[in-house]
Amino acid sequence: MTIYGPYDQILPEILSLTTERIKRLNQQVVDNNQPKLYEHLIARVKTPESMAEKCTRKGYPVTTESALRKCRDAVGIRIVCNFIDDIERCLVQLRQADWCQIIKEKDYITNAKPNGYRSYHIIINETVPYRDVDGNKPGSFYVEIQLRTIAMDSWASLEHEMKYKHNITDAERIGRELKRCADQLASCDVQMQTIRQLINSADKEE
Amino acid sequence: MKILIAEDEQQLAHVLSTAMTASGYQVEVVNNGQEAVAAAQKNAYDVIIMDIMMPVKTGLEALKEIRATGNRTYIMMLTAMGEEDDRVTGLDAGADDYLTKPFSLKELLARLRSRQRRNDDYGTDIIEFGDLTLDGNDQSLQSHNSISLTNKESRLLQYFILNANKELPVNELLNHVWDEEEQADQEDLWINICYLRQKLHAIQSKVVITGEKEGPFMIAH
Repeated sequence: MTIYGPYDQILPEILSLTTERIKRLNQQVVDNNQPKLYEHLIARVKTPESMAEKCTRKGYPVTTESALRKCRDAVGIRIVCNFIDDIERCLVQLRQADWCQIIKEKDYITNAKPNGYRSYHIIINETVPYRDVDGNKPGSFYVEIQLRTIAMDSWASLEHEMKYKHNITDAERIGRELKRCADQLASCDVQMQTIRQLINSADKEE
Repeated sequence: MKILIAEDEQQLAHVLSTAMTASGYQVEVVNNGQEAVAAAQKNAYDVIIMDIMMPVKTGLEALKEIRATGNRTYIMMLTAMGEEDDRVTGLDAGADDYLTKPFSLKELLARLRSRQRRNDDYGTDIIEFGDLTLDGNDQSLQSHNSISLTNKESRLLQYFILNANKELPVNELLNHVWDEEEQADQEDLWINICYLRQKLHAIQSKVVITGEKEGPFMIAH
């Protein structure tokens, strides 16, 4: 028995349900002749081991209730977009969706982390046809959604890789270089966004 | 600053070298145009001071050869009194400045100081404007967040800030930010202004660049 208890089997179900729901939002947008909302989705259930580790680290009791209620990222979805504006377009759709409610937003794009990390994090409270820890059915489950551009995503992967290598010499300098790289990628994101807008406004003039 | 003196009059060369060394410059002396060309090829200088009348190769010939190799070092010519043609030919051949002999050492040193100020200031300054910090060294722009700028964006923004609250016409901006051979037009300027506006927005700055595509443009906060 893992920390997720009886939800071991249900969390993957929720994961694919949420994925399907987000894909459907995208399909509606595309059907309305708008550009697609995102490039691709990544979905994962946090491994029981790292969830147990997290609960311990945060000082929560290592229980299913902690894993699903105190922690809110057991189910996680990353939406990777082509352009910065697509992130806002995704958010608009999610705010309107009747199957979830956004309960927390953290904007690390307007407020980039000091190391250069950029991403938009939200926690949704999603209604699903399964019994939740409070015994309600349909139940409520938390899902963490991270929204970012391809450039922000590739930067985060590199930074993540570095974080777990402890034998890096002169980590401070590497950190500075990574930060500079983040700023350059942010610059490219803005540049591509601007180019797309210039193309679109030229289309409208015609 | 590292300075090369090309002067065949030993005594003058010695006086110049002594005075400049005393001012804290690194000085090398050569005695004719041929040696000046060789030295300029081998070493990097911030300033070259070159007499026109020199044996083996004149200062003018040396100047042309140095420029022909693509060397853009600041070059100051020393000309004889009344040789207006020499001065004109020298400037046209790529000299940056000249002094007429006999010249005052005080004036020469003042010109070197002025040159140094330019070197230090130009393009490498950190400029602050409103909630913005523009770092010319690494072409980065900082406010709430930071973001990289391209060379053109950096030069454009620098010119805007140094001329804040003035209405700047398209042509003036094109002339100051682009080199003539780049043949940039209004459209190039407009795209770069769009980039800058979006970047200002991305770092949450309150600084705005106003103006329509046809100009004029103005920066304010």
